[in-house]
Amino acid sequence: MTRRLVISLVGIVLLAGGTFTANIVAGNFPALGLDLQGGASVTMTPVGEVDEAALSVAVDIIRQRVDSIGVAEPEIIRQGNTVVVNLPGVKDQQQALDTIGRTGAVEMRPVLKVAENPENTTTTTVQGATTTTVKGATTTTLKPASTTLPPPAGGIGSSRTAAVTTTTVPAETVNPITGLPEGQTILPGRKDGLIYLLGPIEATGEVFSNDSSAQVDAGGWVVVAKLRSGAAGADVWNALSTKCFAGGADCPTKAVAIILDGEVISAPTVQTPTFDNGSVQISGSFTETEAKDLARVLQFGAVPVKFDTPTVQTVSASLGEDSLRAAVLSGLIGLLLVLLFLLFYYRLLAIVVVGGLGVSGLLLWSVISWLSKTNGLALTLSGAAGIIVSVGVTVDSYVVFFEKLKDDVQQGRTLRNSAARGFDRAWRTILVADTVSLIGAVVLWQLTVGSVRGFAFFLGLSTLSDMVVSYFFARPAVLLLAKTKLFNRGRVLGVAKAKISEAVA
Amino acid sequence: MAGGMSRLFRGETTINFYGRRNIGFIASGLLLLVTVGSLFTQGLNLGIDFKGGVAFEVPVAGTMSEAKAKEILADNKIRTDNAKIQTLTSGSTERIRIQLGDLPVETRTKIQEGLAKAASATVNDVSVSTVSSTWGRNITVKAINALLVFFLIVSLFIAWRFEWRMALSAIAAMVHDVGISVGVYSVFKLEVTPATVVAFLTILGFSLYDTIVVFDKVHENNERFSGSKVSYGDIVNVSMNQVLMRSLNTSIAALLPVLSLLVIGSGLLGAIALREFALALLVGLATGAYSSIFIATPLVGILKERSDQYRSMKGHLSLGADMAHLMHTGAPVGRRAAARAATDASQGIAPAPVAVETLLSHPPRPRKKSRR
Repeated sequence: MTRRLVISLVGIVLLAGGTFTANIVAGNFPALGLDLQGGASVTMTPVGEVDEAALSVAVDIIRQRVDSIGVAEPEIIRQGNTVVVNLPGVKDQQQALDTIGRTGAVEMRPVLKVAENPENTTTTTVQGATTTTVKGATTTTLKPASTTLPPPAGGIGSSRTAAVTTTTVPAETVNPITGLPEGQTILPGRKDGLIYLLGPIEATGEVFSNDSSAQVDAGGWVVVAKLRSGAAGADVWNALSTKCFAGGADCPTKAVAIILDGEVISAPTVQTPTFDNGSVQISGSFTETEAKDLARVLQFGAVPVKFDTPTVQTVSASLGEDSLRAAVLSGLIGLLLVLLFLLFYYRLLAIVVVGGLGVSGLLLWSVISWLSKTNGLALTLSGAAGIIVSVGVTVDSYVVFFEKLKDDVQQGRTLRNSAARGFDRAWRTILVADTVSLIGAVVLWQLTVGSVRGFAFFLGLSTLSDMVVSYFFARPAVLLLAKTKLFNRGRVLGVAKAKISEAVA
Repeated sequence: MAGGMSRLFRGETTINFYGRRNIGFIASGLLLLVTVGSLFTQGLNLGIDFKGGVAFEVPVAGTMSEAKAKEILADNKIRTDNAKIQTLTSGSTERIRIQLGDLPVETRTKIQEGLAKAASATVNDVSVSTVSSTWGRNITVKAINALLVFFLIVSLFIAWRFEWRMALSAIAAMVHDVGISVGVYSVFKLEVTPATVVAFLTILGFSLYDTIVVFDKVHENNERFSGSKVSYGDIVNVSMNQVLMRSLNTSIAALLPVLSLLVIGSGLLGAIALREFALALLVGLATGAYSSIFIATPLVGILKERSDQYRSMKGHLSLGADMAHLMHTGAPVGRRAAARAATDASQGIAPAPVAVETLLSHPPRPRKKSRR
């Protein structure tokens, strides 16, 4: 029993210390939010005249797209007719553009020919089109092995511009720059190291409604996109799919390329001539991230507004560093006061709280640093203050526990005697109360956007850490201390066995 | 006889919370009435993030700087603590973006001229555009839907773990807490920012958490007393006296960091951005702790007293020494014993001492011989 307690205690301390050190060594630090550190500001100007309603739909879709990337709290504002997206912690302008997508215009073209990208230095093996037999409305993706090298901006990029400028020119003339028949273009794949010879644009992302989603089907990730009904959606898409399914000269590969910002995101082979039930399912050997990315691209492509290539600026913090310093400093003073109060109230036992807060502090720091690195999490001022407050709230777990101990000691038990039983009773209470908090965190995280989502994240994080620290630190610490002589002598908790008259009076 | 503080410290208080429940109800009712009244007459003072406003962009040249921008705003009698002033950098050109709430056209022109002068540029170089809220309608709708789902799931959980009456009361207490916090914002015309909303949510979470801890005690006592004939009012009273110290300690522990943010952070160190956030939390945490004891638990009592099991004993409360007896032994003082205690008290005779061992629910384990 004692050995297990020691293992638990040492284990959690080592875990907290270890993850903390690992993060420091790896150079992961908590990233700061827009208000504290600034970031990148992307301004997107719509092309041509747009109406109010379309723009606000566009803003909503952009928000979803940005939100789905990580746990940071981005700002999305309409400034005049433009949409401004502020991304916290993003220093690199290219990164900001990748996050939002450049113009957001999604095009669909028939694939005429596929070849390896000669500009890629790494050789890639191509996994042929996986033709899975699938029910009704299904296309299958050609998913070649991915490489990390994006195509250089030079050569291929110029053909991209050419394609944009020449689409308005009447067909059947040869483009003087590329030497290709009018309407055709060569575009690189985003990740697959291939280049695609493509026919003219047959459809845009607007054929889909904005609720594309990545789902699990038959054990693999698939992307399901709903078609808008009628002339603007299903009709256009079905014309393209019929053409490609037939596999004629204008679509010999039977594949349709989905293009975002001049890169082929995916090129699924069409499995059925028409899609009557209004939804298109794209399957293939997607990973979860790939499926979600594609779903996001399709969602974004459904933006009813076309934007010019956006401009990126770095944006400074709206609050100074001194605000953060004030928050952290006053927060720490606050926690110190809490400790003093507990020390005064629970005497020696308060050292367990000191240890527990230390352990949970290290754990929170580690998780936040790690997520800052991997998921773009960024702490805003209210986020930082919220964490400090939530730590104050989690002190409650100790209070519940110590009060039970105090009751027992008062009734004549020794601490040694009552510690284990006291924890069992307190743990029940802690578990119920924390479960409710966790429910709240999960529901809000799933269903909301923006700063409410940020709140839910930190609520969940601090509640989980409370549960972990209560069970793996506070429990063994108190149980072990309760075995020592020091803690079974005199008035350790500030109370002794009650005098009889007081107990009844 | 020990003083009040010391009895509180030892958890020996016998305060008749349940009998005085109407005081809490009336106080809260009045506060909620003020909230509703204030919301109807002056509403909420929503910040730029909710309402949108005006954005100025001015190139950095001449004497232009963020500090200068603040000066210009102050000259036009605009509060600068809620204005968002940021520097935008693109390559080597820098611009300053200033976001303000809605302004009358004259002030807008004045600021535009002031900025242009400071940047030694023409008025046309200073762009003025309207900005939408960062907090779109969509976010509010989603947040409200999420809250409704949250209420539903939490109610089901509490109903399953405890009982439906407690679920109902917990939700009522949460609504009460957020209601009063919103009321404070409305009455004092404090600016509502996204941080405020986060603060309200924190309050909601804390209030619920605190209520659950108290309910857990009531639930525990409910089982403990299920064998003996004890009125639900007594169970509520005993439970609340037992958790009183816990509630006070937790509230102090939760309030100390918030007070520190408010007094040291925004007061002494001058981080104004923290002030209203900390204020919202302070009010909310205080009401959260208050409502668990004075609203949520009495509500359960009222609902429970209407149930078949407790209806017959409705209104019967053991007070003072009887409550202490109940608390320690888990059995009510018999009618005869109660009558005797009453006469004893009137004749100034102290109640007979009871051995501690009989007060314990079960005797402590005898000390083992020390092992090596």
